[in-house]
Amino acid sequence: MLDLLTYDFMQRSLLAAAMVGGLCSLVGVFVVLRGLAFVGAGTAHAAFAGVALAYLMGWPPLLLAILFGLVTVWISGWVEEKGTMKLDVSIGILYTTTMALAILFIGLMKTYNAEVYGYLFGNVLSVTPEELRIIGGLAIVVVGSIVLFSKELYFIAFDQEMAEASGVPARRIFFLLLTLVALTVVVSLKTVGAILVFAMVLIPASTAYQLTNSLSTLTWYSLMIGVVCSVSGVLLSAILDIPSGPAIVLLSTLVFFFSIILSPKRLRQPIPAH
Amino acid sequence: MPSHVSASSQPIIRFDHASFGFTGVIALKDLTLTIAAGEFVGVIGPNGSGKTTLCRAVLGLMAPVEGHLHIFDCACDELRCHHRAKIGYLPQKGVVDRNFPVTVLETVMMGRYGAMGLFRRPGTSDRAIAMESLAHVGMERHKDSALGHLSGGQQQRVFIARALAQQPQVLLLDEPTTGLDITTQHNVIELIEHLHQELGLTVLLVTHDINMIRTRVDRLVLLKTRLYAAGPPADVLKAEILREVYGKDLVITEKDLIIVEDYHHHHH
Repeated sequence: MLDLLTYDFMQRSLLAAAMVGGLCSLVGVFVVLRGLAFVGAGTAHAAFAGVALAYLMGWPPLLLAILFGLVTVWISGWVEEKGTMKLDVSIGILYTTTMALAILFIGLMKTYNAEVYGYLFGNVLSVTPEELRIIGGLAIVVVGSIVLFSKELYFIAFDQEMAEASGVPARRIFFLLLTLVALTVVVSLKTVGAILVFAMVLIPASTAYQLTNSLSTLTWYSLMIGVVCSVSGVLLSAILDIPSGPAIVLLSTLVFFFSIILSPKRLRQPIPAH
Repeated sequence: MPSHVSASSQPIIRFDHASFGFTGVIALKDLTLTIAAGEFVGVIGPNGSGKTTLCRAVLGLMAPVEGHLHIFDCACDELRCHHRAKIGYLPQKGVVDRNFPVTVLETVMMGRYGAMGLFRRPGTSDRAIAMESLAHVGMERHKDSALGHLSGGQQQRVFIARALAQQPQVLLLDEPTTGLDITTQHNVIELIEHLHQELGLTVLLVTHDINMIRTRVDRLVLLKTRLYAAGPPADVLKAEILREVYGKDLVITEKDLIIVEDYHHHHH
């Protein structure tokens, strides 16, 4: 097992997994608390549609993925704010429409393109040094924004109207959060794929949610669970020769079920009234 | 006993023929009302009378569609962050998710965030203010407890502490006693009265429970999509005015208790 670690590709994929795992689990804290799970899942499919269009037209895939992802989250956020349509309906429509576009774009391609499918299913073991640099760069942007605006992000996740009322620019922070979700999804697309990326956003934070009643503790737990599960998943996938995306996600799911069983929240009863 | 407001008290909230709502649906029409610094004002009225709209307007979440609203001598649509922080707000219960993973101290610290502004990290002084706010509501022992593990009355105290952590001039409370048992209701109202006197806070208390506040407030404001009456409780709580506003839902008992039927159903 140790000689695996001497390979360049293995070092790259472990580094990518750690960064993507950390990034997803950190953004996931706010996604779970603010109740944006469905929005993010829709974004992943929209970003994939962007990738498919890029390959069809010969444009840069990452750029189009970001563009499609951002437009989708902003529309979702706008619909949520307006409250004129139920969010699950509007996202459901966006979700399937973008997926239809992706399938259409792939169908229009004259030849089979394996790289496109790489974005759908992900393969962290094939991460190139250049992709690693892009992941690193965007990770710095996203983590930097979260650190810079953490108190406002926590506040809007807890109670957006209250935050607005007490002078926090809550709407702008909400759209910042949506933007960070889109960037995170796009960064993670190549490593875990459009279908599974959202598990990496949701599961670590949901696992941490079971284990603590403090916002700061929740964030650290989520980050640790995300990084450890991603890195362990990649190692498992290399050792057992199984695809990396499912290895990471299934391992995280296993940890999640353990957290439910061990959750102090299930065991503790609320203090009775008075 | 209601505290007395001197004639020289300066107005801090001033509605001037202000209407609020959306196109076609006016929730509150042609409101002219001045609230002076240090007053304890109760806002009453039936369901859908515009009480919550009044709150949202004072919070700066809603600009008047007609007329003007001045808060701290600032036109509402120009209300800046540091002005908003001067209004501590207790939202209606049930807005907050009971299972949200947050501690009492983390909740109260959020009261500092608006006043601090962007890019600043909470420091020791913010923490000290939060602890002091918790002490004001008698909850400092529970600072590390999970918010979701507290009783309804304790949670209200924590949310009042969060409002206090803004170091506000005005405390705006939207139905602070709803969903609490009778003893806890009295405790919460007494706490609010105490904060009004101790900290010299201007208090705007929105409630359906007229009997709970009638002996404690300086002034009552009676709304039903417009301002029906405003003044000392004795002047506002006249049978003919109340009957006009509440209609057949109103029962006044021999002991002079005012019972409003639709709320009665709500509670029991």
